[in-house]
Amino acid sequence: MSGPNGMLYGGDEIGALVFDPGHHSLRVGYAQEDTPKADIPAVIGVGPATHIPDAEEKVPDGNITQSAAKTGNELRHYIDVTEIHVPRPGMEIQTYMKDGQVDNWDLFEKMLDYCYSKVIRSPSEHHPALFTEAVWTTRPAREKLAELLFEKYQAPAFFLVKNAVLAAFANGKSTALVLDAGASQTSAVPVIDGYAIVSAAVRSPLGGDHLAAQAKIMLNNMHIQMLPIYSIQSKEVIRERERAKYTLKNLPAGLTQSWQQYMLKRQYEDFCHCVAQVSENPYEERVAAAVPGVHHEFPGGYHQDFGPERFKLTECLFEQTMGAAQLVCSAAGACDADARPALWGGVVACGGLSALAGWPDRVARELAARAPSSHRLKTHAAPSPQERRFAAWLGGSILASIGSFQQMWISSQEYDEGGKGQLERKCP
Amino acid sequence: MADILDILDIEQPGTAEITRDSILHGDKMKKKYVTAKAARRPEGMHREVFALLYNDNKDLPPLLPTDTGKAYKQTKAKLGMRKVRKWVWAPFTNPARKDNAVFYHWKRKTDESKEYPFAQFNKQVSIPSYSESEYNQYLKSEDWSQAETDHLMDLCQRFDLRFIVIHDRWDRAAFRDRSVEDLKERYYNICGILSKVKTNPWSNTVTMVNGEKRVYHYDAEHERKRKEQLRRLFDRTKEQIEEEQTLLAELKKIEARKRERERKTQDLQKLISRADGNSAAANQTAIANDGMNTPSTVSSSIARRHDRKLHKKKLASQQRPMRAIETVTVEWSGIKFPEARGTGVWLRSQRMKLPPGVGQRKTKAIEQELRLMNIDVAPTPTESICKHFNELRSDLALALDLKNALTSYEFELQALRHQYEALNPGKTLTIPPSICNTSAEADTKPLGEIIDVVGSPGSHNNTI
Repeated sequence: MSGPNGMLYGGDEIGALVFDPGHHSLRVGYAQEDTPKADIPAVIGVGPATHIPDAEEKVPDGNITQSAAKTGNELRHYIDVTEIHVPRPGMEIQTYMKDGQVDNWDLFEKMLDYCYSKVIRSPSEHHPALFTEAVWTTRPAREKLAELLFEKYQAPAFFLVKNAVLAAFANGKSTALVLDAGASQTSAVPVIDGYAIVSAAVRSPLGGDHLAAQAKIMLNNMHIQMLPIYSIQSKEVIRERERAKYTLKNLPAGLTQSWQQYMLKRQYEDFCHCVAQVSENPYEERVAAAVPGVHHEFPGGYHQDFGPERFKLTECLFEQTMGAAQLVCSAAGACDADARPALWGGVVACGGLSALAGWPDRVARELAARAPSSHRLKTHAAPSPQERRFAAWLGGSILASIGSFQQMWISSQEYDEGGKGQLERKCP
Repeated sequence: MADILDILDIEQPGTAEITRDSILHGDKMKKKYVTAKAARRPEGMHREVFALLYNDNKDLPPLLPTDTGKAYKQTKAKLGMRKVRKWVWAPFTNPARKDNAVFYHWKRKTDESKEYPFAQFNKQVSIPSYSESEYNQYLKSEDWSQAETDHLMDLCQRFDLRFIVIHDRWDRAAFRDRSVEDLKERYYNICGILSKVKTNPWSNTVTMVNGEKRVYHYDAEHERKRKEQLRRLFDRTKEQIEEEQTLLAELKKIEARKRERERKTQDLQKLISRADGNSAAANQTAIANDGMNTPSTVSSSIARRHDRKLHKKKLASQQRPMRAIETVTVEWSGIKFPEARGTGVWLRSQRMKLPPGVGQRKTKAIEQELRLMNIDVAPTPTESICKHFNELRSDLALALDLKNALTSYEFELQALRHQYEALNPGKTLTIPPSICNTSAEADTKPLGEIIDVVGSPGSHNNTI
């Protein structure tokens, strides 16, 4: 905290927790660490507790949070990959997120319970909690969250920060134009002196989910069947582009549609991660064909090389009217003219989708073509994909461990005195 | 064999019988052997150097440093004599907070609890405040209600005068939308008024200069204009920027061409003034010679009149810097024949000799012209023939210069015409006959019009 010569450096750690709820996953961990402790899928499996298949017995019971005693038709909530990915009859997959903010508070509570008991393994009343939120989060949602943290979890202090601001902090900037390409949407938010300019924020629904949907369409058109991996008992080695030979597993009856959809979506995401690549220039068959293909084996055993298709697939993210570069242009254009040079000089790319191979380069290129020549354009993206994915969480981790930030928390005393109305004032 | 073993100090395995005597006297014998071999120190060799070579038992100095015996005992780590200071998870309060909330952090157990060090960074901008009566008395405005002003001051406090952020968080539901400049104008206006009527100066807007309060004055109109200009500058489309750049490049080209033309005009002007000087002299001689009108003097007088008219026009329009050219002094016109110099007797034919300044080519050309006119190259040098012959040759030289200039301009005109036609396919450039000189006409045209090819701006616009 302070050196022997009285100089003040570093931060001051007060055991704060940072929560970064997203559409794809929730990141949670201690402030001052460089990666979150856990990255939990933002879905919860809800199924009947009475019908427990054999497979579950092997799983340690610890990861299962129960809503009530194991009697009657009570529901059980299955959280995290090890729980969700087990085929269970009647288990529905539900998400608590909607449009960038928490929508289903009961489910979110389950998630927080899980975080405190299984990830942090420490009582919630010991840790101040810093939450990230989307720029357009509505006031009732913010207040509901504060209420939940103070009243149910007895948090000693609470704070809410816009994720764009934190992403800018994670990249060492207080003024930046944050281009956040997430699962459900892509957004461009100007941040000036650590304050997000809400009125200038723009977003488009082209996110990672869109890419996964496109991958599904593409594979359907290519007549490649994406078999769910949990259904495969065994498969044989076959030659490329040959018909797959596999035996199916005996699955319990009554698997829900939502769960199957979710599992398949994960596989399409996986496919995108392995195969899809963004070309530096707008798609051109000839150029794309010159790049060596990528081999991919599907769960059923079928495998083939993907050549130009993998570049063609990602073109859906760069449509002229809704592409990332267009978002940045309109966000910067909506800002005050005095602020624009600084914003163009610090375009920060982050979010899970930016981990896609070639994505930052393409965006930088498109921006260079569109940016006004009177501004110096500098596109900044953290070198490692993890850093880009966890940018908002990292920013939160940095912010919550800075000594001078410790005066900003809304403490439980303040909450008791002022109620949740002060949230708008204290967390701008 | 045994000798070598002796020298190398190796004991012979077979012969060495271990007897009581050998054990007792072994050392002695060895010593004896060594001392017998020991060499004396040579004169002048330092004792230390000698000791390195020969010591008592004739051992070589060790190649590696050896242990000195105590080494192992000293290797025990001595890592500070103090005890490890303990860290504790201790509560603290932050004086920068108003609520005395208690947080916990790690600190040294021994550290005395002093004020939270990061509290010193809690800096706030001082924003002027006003009471209701003050507002009613001084700050009333038709444009701003008190609620709106209060909202502004509140936002200023919350966002530390970051007006762009304030503008973003402005409560548009309750108040009408205002520009950043409006907000700034109102705020600085309030600051100005309050600092006048109140005693406590607001640090951020009032500076004390020579004991006199100076209030920051915000020039909203200027700022609005500046912002508008900035906005326009940034909102230019790509095409506009490209157009601007090509226009700038064109402008540069045009200016370069203009400079080139001016240089040429200046050269030509020199030639003309030369002709003028010549013809004036000819006129005078003509008058003196009682009306001996030669066609050249007629044409040159016309040319002069024309020229003067042109000059007037140019002076009126002020388009080109012709005046500077007008005053150019001509130091040489046609051929200047040297006056007879020196004393004594000389041949009159000497006066007809071309001066050395005239080049070979010009001399040849003049001779050619003379031959065409059927004039003897070397006529009989009577007084009058001598004079007229010299004048004629001087005029011929000038005419040749002008002819050369004309052909070069003619060529340039044609080149420009071709350029124009290449750039605008399908169009033909009709050159007005006034500037179109065929070589047949050239002799009868007045000089001024020839010069007009390069002189007047109107005709230039046709060719560009």
